Parts: sequence; structure tokens; C-alpha cells
Amino acid sequence: MKRPPVLMRVQIQGRDKRFGLWLPLFMLLPLAVVLLIILSPLILIACVVFRLRARSRRPAHAVDAALSVLCSGRAMKAAFDVLCSARGLRATVINRNERVNISII
Amino acid sequence: MSEAEKKILEMLANRKISVEEAYRLLSALRTEGRASEHAAGAAATAKPKPKYLRVSVVPGPGHEHDEDAELVNVRVPISLIRSGMKFSSLVPSEARDKVTDALHEKGIDLDMRNLKPEDVEAVIEALDDLQVDVVSSKEIVKVYVE
Repeated sequence: MKRPPVLMRVQIQGRDKRFGLWLPLFMLLPLAVVLLIILSPLILIACVVFRLRARSRRPAHAVDAALSVLCSGRAMKAAFDVLCSARGLRATVINRNERVNISII
Repeated sequence: MSEAEKKILEMLANRKISVEEAYRLLSALRTEGRASEHAAGAAATAKPKPKYLRVSVVPGPGHEHDEDAELVNVRVPISLIRSGMKFSSLVPSEARDKVTDALHEKGIDLDMRNLKPEDVEAVIEALDDLQVDVVSSKEIVKVYVE
């Protein structure tokens, strides 16, 4: 079973400053679900409008077609898959002035 | 001698089966044994699946202590690449044609319409043997999977 990442850690370390941030992604997910529920009527209307517009034009406009796909459940599932797959992502950049470290746990 | 082989010989001794049948049964048993040994050996030597794509940039020889030298280390999960590539299936056909045309104009002959999920899997499996080393006087760039 795919599990979304729990934490995101951002660390910036300069010569005289130090900044660290732990982002609790597990708390952002319920917020995103609530936001999705609130916006669902608007998303539904947008889905219908873009799908109708994409169907009515022959050939369909690329932007309309793209938006109609983006509003679909498939796109949301794909976005969730990407989020879940991001676990373990780590990037570190070190130069003479600072060190930046981003990791998704 | 295994239990099965003993049983076959007992059956032959008790004249429950003929010599020919006993020979066939013993041959079948030995072939099966060899096949299972081969499978076990292949499983033992199989490489573990790669989990991460690593990109690292380190200062080149003699530049380790340069003031503008940068050190980059990126670890991308292979599953993220897989999910990202699956996004291409969401691209509508109208937009896909435009992307293909734009790539063709830039000299890249990649037709996104022909990109199938099994091709994506094949690309990811092929990453197993990927190793790119770019060595210049200033820095060394390494791309590999682990």
C-alpha cells in the first residue's frame, strides 16, 4: 500500500545563520482533503465545462483538453502517486557560503 | 538417494512398475532436481532492484579547496521517476501532438504517442545498468542508481 510522506525537512546553514524547518506533511494531507471537499462543487462545474468545451471543438483546443484531463480523478490519483513516491527524496547543495539540505521522509 | 528415488526402486523390486517406467520416473526426478537447483542459483545471484537514482557533483582533482567549488548530492527514488513518467499518459492527444512536434523541431525524434506503460517499465529496468561519469578539470558529475 502506498503511503504519503510524513515529514519534509529543510535545512539551510550559512556562515552565521542557521535555519531548520520540519514540515509535517501528515498534517497537510487532512487539510488538503478538507479543501478538496469544500472546492468539490467548483471542481465538478469546471470538469463539466471543460469537458463540454473540449468535445464541442473539432479539433479540440489543447488547453481545454488538458484542463478537462486535469480535473479528472485520474489526474488526482496520479498526483497522489507522485506524492507517495516522493518518500526518500533528498537533495543537498553545499557551497562555500551555505549548505542546503532538503529531504522528504 | 532421496526418498522418492527409494520409493521408485521399492516399487520396481515389488514388480509394481516395469524397468522402463522406473527409468522414466527416475529421469524425471533428476531433471526436476536440476531445474530447481538452477532456479535457486539464479535467485541467489539476482541483483537487488535499484531504489534510488543518484546525481552527485564534486569538485574535480585539485579543486577540492576552491572557494567557488560546489558539492551537490541528489537522491531521487526510482518510484518517483515511474510515477512521473506515468503522467505522460494523462497528456491529452491534442497536447501530445504539439509536444511531439516541438521535440521534432528541436531535433529530438521522440513520438509521445508511442510511449506505452511497458516501455516506461523497460526504461526503468534499464536504469539498473546506468552509470554516467563526466570528469572535467573543475568538477566530476556522476549519475548512477543504487
